[in-house]
Amino acid sequence: MEPILNVENLQKYYGARGSVTRAIDDFSFRVNEGEFVGIMGASGSGKTTLLNCIATIDRPTAGHIRIEGKDVTGLKGKDLSRFRRERLGFVFQDCNLLDTLTAFENIALALTILKTPAGEIEGRVQETARLLDITPCLNKFPYQLSGGERQRVAAARAIITRPALVLADEPTGALDSKSARLLLDRFEELNGAQRTTILMVTHDAFTASYCRRILFIKDGRPFTELVRGASGRKDFFARIIEVVTLLGGDSGDVL
Amino acid sequence: MFSKLAFQNVRRSLKDYSVYFLTLTFGVCIFYVFNSMESQYVMEILLSANKGMIRVILQLIDVVSVFVSVVLGFLILYANGFMIRRRKKELGTYLLLGLDGGRVSALLFLETLLIGVFSLGIGLLLGVFLSQFISVFTAGLFAVSIPEFHFVFSPRALGKTLLYFGVIFLVVMLFNSFRVSRQKLIDLLRADRENQDLKLKSVGASVVMFLTGAILLIIAYAMLLVRGILRVDNLFFLMLALGTAGTLLFFRSLSGFLLKICQANKRLYYKGLNMFLLRQFNSRINSTYVSMTVICLMLLLAIGITACSVGLNNTVSAITAENAPYDVTVRFYCHGGDGAEPELEKWLAAGGFDPEQELAESVRFDIRQVELEPLTYSVGDREYTQTSLDAISLTDCNRLLALQGRTPLALTEGEYGLLWGTYMAEESFWKSLWADRPVVVAQGRALLAGGDVQAVVLTGDSVYSSMLVLPDALAASGTLSSRNLVGNYAPGIDPEQADERLAQAMGNLVPRDYDSGGNGYGYGWDSRVQIYLQTMGTKILVLFLGIYLGIVFLLCSAAVLALQQLSQAADNQNRYRVLARLGVEERMRDRSIYVQVFLAFFLPLALAVVHAAVGMTSANAAIAQVGRVDSAASSAVTAAFILVVYGAYFLATCWGSRRIIRGR
Repeated sequence: MEPILNVENLQKYYGARGSVTRAIDDFSFRVNEGEFVGIMGASGSGKTTLLNCIATIDRPTAGHIRIEGKDVTGLKGKDLSRFRRERLGFVFQDCNLLDTLTAFENIALALTILKTPAGEIEGRVQETARLLDITPCLNKFPYQLSGGERQRVAAARAIITRPALVLADEPTGALDSKSARLLLDRFEELNGAQRTTILMVTHDAFTASYCRRILFIKDGRPFTELVRGASGRKDFFARIIEVVTLLGGDSGDVL
Repeated sequence: MFSKLAFQNVRRSLKDYSVYFLTLTFGVCIFYVFNSMESQYVMEILLSANKGMIRVILQLIDVVSVFVSVVLGFLILYANGFMIRRRKKELGTYLLLGLDGGRVSALLFLETLLIGVFSLGIGLLLGVFLSQFISVFTAGLFAVSIPEFHFVFSPRALGKTLLYFGVIFLVVMLFNSFRVSRQKLIDLLRADRENQDLKLKSVGASVVMFLTGAILLIIAYAMLLVRGILRVDNLFFLMLALGTAGTLLFFRSLSGFLLKICQANKRLYYKGLNMFLLRQFNSRINSTYVSMTVICLMLLLAIGITACSVGLNNTVSAITAENAPYDVTVRFYCHGGDGAEPELEKWLAAGGFDPEQELAESVRFDIRQVELEPLTYSVGDREYTQTSLDAISLTDCNRLLALQGRTPLALTEGEYGLLWGTYMAEESFWKSLWADRPVVVAQGRALLAGGDVQAVVLTGDSVYSSMLVLPDALAASGTLSSRNLVGNYAPGIDPEQADERLAQAMGNLVPRDYDSGGNGYGYGWDSRVQIYLQTMGTKILVLFLGIYLGIVFLLCSAAVLALQQLSQAADNQNRYRVLARLGVEERMRDRSIYVQVFLAFFLPLALAVVHAAVGMTSANAAIAQVGRVDSAASSAVTAAFILVVYGAYFLATCWGSRRIIRGR
């Protein structure tokens, strides 16, 4: 089966000759359809750079990123925008909702820029909102919502277009533990019931424990990989902590 | 190092806020041009010819300039405050780096100084350059030929501009220092995190408000149209208040109203970025509706003042051209007397003004009074009876028409013709006379009405141009009323100097040959230059004053709008970044930016145009009583002018916003 995401020998260097920073150095991995993959690493390990490259926000120095078999590293301008709006969904730490639009409109916007027929929009927004348990918030503006609700709205916006891949960058970074748990439960359900493929970057072990598989990155190189398999989340969490300790992350990175 | 930093900052600001510098430069330029008016060639002539009135109007320009400098001062303060707000974080960083408050103030002081010197320099250069054109233009308006190229430079205007703008910049500098010294470091550094005021009012309320606003406006319009514009009483002020309140409510509720309408139309609402655009517009309206109202009213003033002064001026110049068909007119009134010189040319030559040399073409003619069988006519409800009228012979009439390049009057024996001057009060009498085309019995001979009426100023004076045209022999039998000489100067003769020679000749001759005022004699002379100066001089200055104020108001409105939009663009940077991440193409984003700027520029203009159209309709009705206003042409001129200035600001704002949002 063709993987949804195939990253081959990815390199991203910053700086000029003489003082090159290797943010990502020869990184390869695959994500199959329906997977929920986490990428973990300490601050500065290159995980956000990796995600930005996959999200087509940043351009790698060398290597290839194939999404559904299509090489996105060569896309430009219009094609890039089109690919982004049709095949990718984003959830960021700072949620990135438009503050002038209601929750409903924020979600609907993802559809309107896809030129979805107007008649379909309301039904699909309601349906997605039910999935993420945000139906009561739909007519509120972002500033009237809690952080957790905002992130779930952002998640709804990310999945409503039925993207091939949902990219989440520290989605729980700004949330309290209860809201984080709520959001991650939703992610788990989306992954389980909807078969949404999710790639999530985090430095938080608790958040990571919701994933099915975790890639650890250190100094731009793959460090190790953990697969949850049949084990429970608590068990998985303990294994993650072990790796994090090995990685040399400071205690702040542990829950 | 310190001044280098200031230089760099100014250079960066020049790029980011080019609109601000444009406005400063234009402001300085216009200020100089209008204040240098009196040192222009034409104004010098006007001053020597028509001292009192022109002096008053030049003084008026002085007074208006104070007002204008206050307006521009506030504009500059506003723009400056806006720039400082944008730079809070940068200023905070200076403080954080250990630059003390005094040094930062000094830095801002230096920057303002540089900006001031820069814009003053360029503005003055432009102003000096522009006033050359204005000088040629005004000379053209007055049909005065400038003997040689005359470089116009007014040291007084220069000094005044430097003084006024110097004071403005000084105030700005003090204001800046004061602002920075009062700020807390934490507020400066966290400036961009300040929560925006996002109080969104209910959409339903805005529909009610919109309707109320519309009703208020309609009432105000109706009052204006019914009552006219000239009755200034309590109701007039009520009308102004209603209009202003209506405008305010209109802008306060417009975005909500639009939003409501579009939301009802799902296909429109859920199309592309429409939803985003409308919400953007709506979210801003709380902070912009007051300024939109003020800008709309300023634009109204700009349009109204410019259109009215241009329109009135066109009318006046058209009338003036009709009233001065010849370069020169000499006239002797000699009711019943025969003492007038039979040949005016020789008589004038004796006085030192030789028509043979001075005039290229001339016509001498007599106007005689003929006895009529009582002729009854009515003007309005009243009846008049006329027993004698002025008349001119057909030959003289046709010679005069030929001199003006018009088609001659064709009359057969036994017919009379009629000339109308353009003197309004008389026109109605002659009109009603001609309407019946009665048989006239002049000097005992019955004549039929013949030919078409000639509505021309034939005798060089509109007051004495309405008369009968009679067959030569019949006209000659009347009593001599006046003897006239009209003509055009020969090429190469300077009209003003020739006028002076004529005035001198008349001054010499009349006291010698006639006791002026005695024996029923009188004399008079007119020249084209004189008539232009008398009737147009003040009007043209009024036009300049109107355009001066119009430009300033227009400039201020456009600049405030542009600055507001640019500051919003900076706030919108983040939103557009989100849109980019969602996969909205650059072209679509750019279009959304343009539409936002367009709405901000177009809406106040649209309402102002409607206001102005209603106002002008009413004003035209008032002006039509004293003259004609060529409203179509003047509206076109005004529209073109406003489109150029406003359009330039609009484009500059579009590009600036795009630049800011793209973060380049």
